[in-house]
Parts: sequence; structure tokens; C-alpha cells
Amino acid sequence: MNLEKVIFGFFNILACTLNFGFFIGDLDRPELHHPFELFTAIAVSLIVTVLKFGDRTQLGATHLATSLVATLQLLAASMVWAWQLYVTRLPMDGEVMSIIVSLSGGALVANLISVILLIGETLRQGR
Amino acid sequence: MGDVLFLALRRLRAPLITIICVYAISVGGLTLIPGLDAAGKPETMSFFHAFYVVSYTATTIGFGELPNPFTDAQRMWVTFSIYLSVVGWVYSLGTVIALTNDATFRAMLARSIFNRRVRRIAEPFYIVCGYGQSGAALMHALDDHGTRLVVIETRAERVARMVLEEYTTPPLALAADARLADVLEDAGIHSAHCAGLIALAGDDAVNQAIAIGARVLNPDLMIVARAKSRAAELNLAAFEDVRVVNPFTTFAENLRLGLAAPEVLQLEEWLTGAPGSDCPDCMMLPRGRWVLVGFGRFGHAISAMLDAEGIEWKAFDSSVVDDEEQRLIHGADTEHALNDAGIASADVLIAGAAVDAVNLGVTTLARRINAGIFVVIRQNHAQDHALIKAARADLSFVQSHLMVHECLQILKTPMLGRFIGHLRGAGADLASATIERVKRDSGNGAPLAWTFACDVMQPGMFGAFFQRPGDALRIGHLVADPTNPSERLVASALLLERQGTPHLLPDDSTVLKPGDQILFVGDNTARGLQLRYLNEPGTVAWVCSGREPPRGALFRWWQQRSRAA
Repeated sequence: MNLEKVIFGFFNILACTLNFGFFIGDLDRPELHHPFELFTAIAVSLIVTVLKFGDRTQLGATHLATSLVATLQLLAASMVWAWQLYVTRLPMDGEVMSIIVSLSGGALVANLISVILLIGETLRQGR
Repeated sequence: MGDVLFLALRRLRAPLITIICVYAISVGGLTLIPGLDAAGKPETMSFFHAFYVVSYTATTIGFGELPNPFTDAQRMWVTFSIYLSVVGWVYSLGTVIALTNDATFRAMLARSIFNRRVRRIAEPFYIVCGYGQSGAALMHALDDHGTRLVVIETRAERVARMVLEEYTTPPLALAADARLADVLEDAGIHSAHCAGLIALAGDDAVNQAIAIGARVLNPDLMIVARAKSRAAELNLAAFEDVRVVNPFTTFAENLRLGLAAPEVLQLEEWLTGAPGSDCPDCMMLPRGRWVLVGFGRFGHAISAMLDAEGIEWKAFDSSVVDDEEQRLIHGADTEHALNDAGIASADVLIAGAAVDAVNLGVTTLARRINAGIFVVIRQNHAQDHALIKAARADLSFVQSHLMVHECLQILKTPMLGRFIGHLRGAGADLASATIERVKRDSGNGAPLAWTFACDVMQPGMFGAFFQRPGDALRIGHLVADPTNPSERLVASALLLERQGTPHLLPDDSTVLKPGDQILFVGDNTARGLQLRYLNEPGTVAWVCSGREPPRGALFRWWQQRSRAA
């Protein structure tokens, strides 16, 4: 067992599951999407991105790319949220919430690809 | 650049994750701690405000308690976050600073900057491997010619010293081992602008490895390598187009030439000397009896030459013992040994030991016994230059000078090298004829040599060969002044090469064919003016007929029509 693989796999899958947790539920119902879940998803996504730094293989580069996509999408979602609450100063409504959740849905796709890559890599290496 | 970035990212992984965790804990905690809003009702802080507070607290900017005054529970958490984030930042910044001081990282950074600069060179450049005495002298000489240089030297202190020296264009230097293929690649061996590689490392084995590596990496590259031993010379000669220069045998060969055909040596010295210097006097080496001091590689090279010429010699060396060689005197007492070697009746003394002090001492001793002796002295170290000069020897052997001379000849005007090769084979008559011709055309100063190629891909030559009726192009046309054809340029043709066949000292009336290469000597003005025949269409026609030919297609067609009519 390789500790690096465990940590890497853990954060990778955690990023995906947290993302999924935030995403699940009707798009336009703010009460189904808790900000804390988005916050942890962003934090873990950032950690995963940094963990992928410095891997020079082709697969490592694809991994890094997927993580960057996920992180950027989640950050965009949080910025839309902050804009709605503190710049336009309106209460959260279904329309804006659906933008935020669909952005996180995009991040979820990237995270899923990342997990698929992880599984593929594990199967290919067979050790 | 990629390497450096990846190394930095890899090293910074832990500190970056630390920072992310510190921020996540602080922000997350702050949103969970109960607080009060402006009206005094219970409310938790939002993520946006929590991130804002942590951002200015963690960086110790400290704007105070925003958006509302904190509760004590919030203050406790913020106190905790302050310590957490300060520790996190100190650790991260410490790692970044340690990384910039890291030797591996700095070496990689220097390498990557070097590589980027090499890739940006957009003119022909040479790679010099080894920055010793010869390397430094050659680089200064090439720099004077305006050539860009890239140097690879193993010892970092030599590279550091080079940076302090004066160059017109500072060479790009890398402290690395040129035997490694990736070092040569970073130095631009694959670059389209790389004009050649010169291996001048101190050790023969290293030079062999560099030259062979370079040949494998770039099969078309011009490579010059120094080899001081016969074995290395033979090994390298097996590779195609690797020019090997052995300073000892080259000097011995020059001495042989001085004995057999002094005019050839005189011409060679003159043509390859610094432009403008006077034609050297014809040096008359006495045949007589020779005494060699120092019987290392230099002494061996000279004695082999003397044997071939049938000249009697005696050698003396205090450290070399060779029972086979009867003519070698071994002993500790130099004066005694010189007397044994018959210095009183000898004609030539070769002070060729590897220590300059010994050479100077031997010269003084020998002159005391035999005042009129012809002295050839060897200078080993550049810093002894003034001492060696003060000895006023008839001839001196300085390895770095010889290497510069040979390398420049090979690199700058390879055709001149071939001409000199023909001269050596042809003998004194041709040399005298050449000296006479060059003096007639260009005067007494040492001329500059260049090659003129009748390359029909150039507009001038295309026009001269294919778009011009009338008289054929002759060498005489190329030495006419393109601004005033009745005047002659300060230039004379020494060698014409047509499909690999050499024609020595071609006449002005020689008819040229496409693809011909002509070696000219003369002054720099002549070279510049002569380029017009190559680059400008119509110059040849104007010189031949005195009329400017039409340039545009319409006027050419009109002219052809009117000629036909």
C-alpha cells in the first residue's frame, strides 16, 4: 500500500462526493443547497489541485486539468453567490440558485472524469 | 522553463496545502461560531464575511471587527485563527525562500535561463567546450570577428571569471559537463544557427567524448577537437568531418615546413595573421644539430619530425627515462646535461619543457655557452608571457596562440585552409608566386581572406549567368570596382574550386561557371563591394557592358522585343 496513493485517492473522491452532495436536489430551491457544502467542496478541490502539481506524466497532466476545471467552476459558483448577496443585495432566489447549482454540476462532471482517470490508472497498473 | 516550474510546484505542494487547510479551518469555524447582528439578534457570519475577516487577519493587516462587533466566542476563534495562520504563512514562506536558495533549484534555473537565451540567438554561433587558456584565447578572437559564442565549462569558478572579462557580445556560459548529451542539446547543438563546435577541454579523453557525442547528435555539424596524443588523434580521425588539431605535431610540422620550404611558411603566417600586419620575414631555420630540452609529447613530436628530415639531435629531460632512446640524456644537473648534449656546437635549442622557469633557465645557460644559438622557446602559462617575451627567443611556441590560429583558419575560411594544404604540397615556387601576386594587388599588409560562391540562387549570380547576353562572367569582372569598373578592387583570386577540383592562382580571364567557389584575399572594402555582384541583380551586367539592365518584367520583355526586332 502506498500512502501517497491513499491520500491522493481520498481527496480526489472526497472532492467528487462533496461536489455531488451540493449538486443534488432541485436546481432552483436554495434551501436544498447549503453554502457549507460548497465551501468544503472548494477547499478540497483546491487541495486536490495542489496534490496534482509536479506530476510530469501524460495522465498527471490530464488529472491536473480536470481539477483546475472543477476548482474554477466551483469558485465561479461561489462568486455568483457572493455577488447576489453582497453586491446586488437581494435575497437568494431560484433563478440565481439554478446558475450556481448548474456551475457546480459542471464541476461535478470534471470531478467524475478525474475519478474515472483514477480508477483507470489503478486498473492499468494492477499493483 | 518546464523543469524549473515543475520542481517549484513539487516542492511547494506541502506549503500550499497547509495554507489551504489553514484558511478552510479558519473560515469554516468562523461561519459556525454564533454571533450577533447590528440589531443584537443572534446570527452566524456568512462565508463571504468570514473569508474577508480571515484574509486580512491571516496576513496581519487587521481592519478590526467587521461587519458587526464580534461576540466573545468569535474573538476566541479569531485568536486561534491568528496563531494558526501565522504559523502556516511562516512555514510556507520559509519553504519558498529555502527553495530559492536551494543549489539544485538555482542550477536548474541557471540552466533554463541559459537554454532560453541560446534558443533566442538568431545568428550563427559556435559552441566552445572548455574555457582554459586556449578556449579563452579562441573565444576572444572569435568575439573580435563578431561571432556569437556559447561556452560550456565544467568548473563553475572559470565561468564566473569569464563573466568579468571583456567581450563585445558576452558569450552565453553554462557550468556543466559537455560530455552529456542534454548539456549539448541545451547549448543549441540542434539549432539551425549552430555553426560549429570546438572541443578544447584539458583532457584528451574528454575532448574525444565531446566530439563523438556532438557528431552523433548532429551529423552535419562542423566539429574541431584538440587532441594531444596520437591515440586520441587516430580515434577522432575515424569520424567523418571531425577536424583534429594536435598542437604539438602542428608546430613540428610548421618547423618542418620552415626547414623544407620557408616561403610556404612565410606565406601561411602572412595570410592567416592579423589583417594589416606586414609580411613576415622569411625565417631561415638552421639545419645543423638540434638540442631538445623536455622530452614529453612536445619533444617527441619534434624529434619525430627531425628524424624524418634526417637531422641530428640530442634531448635532455630530468624526469623522462627511456632506455630505448640513446639520444636522450637523463640527469638532474641541467648545465652538465647541456654540455653532454653538445650545446657548444649545436645550432638550434628547443626549450620545450612543461615548466616555463626551466625553459627560461635553459635558454640563459645555452646562450652563455653558445651565444649565436637559434632558440625556440615554449610558453606554458599565459601569465609567463612577459618573461618568455623578455627572453627574446627566435621563435616561440604558445599552445593557445597556435590553437587559435588553427581553429580560426578551419572555422572562418575553410577554403584558405585547403589552399594552404595545396601550397604545402606544391612547394616554394607557388608560394613565391602567391606572395608576388598578393603584394601586387593588395600591398604589403596581411590581407583578409574570403570565399565568393557563384551561387545561382542569389539574385546577382542568377542574373549574371541566365539573364544576360554577351560576354561570359570572368574572375576579372569580380575584381572590378562595381561603382567604377575601370578601377580594380584591392583583391586577388588565389584558388578556384569547380566541382571539387582545385585550380590554383586562376587568371583574371578565367571563365566562371555556376557553383564555382573562389578564394579571394584583399581588404574589407573590396569584400563589401564584391558582395554587390552576389546580391544585386544587374551589377554584373553593368560592369560587363556599361549599361544598366532593365529590372522589371515588363521592361525586360520590351528590351527582348526590341532586340528581336
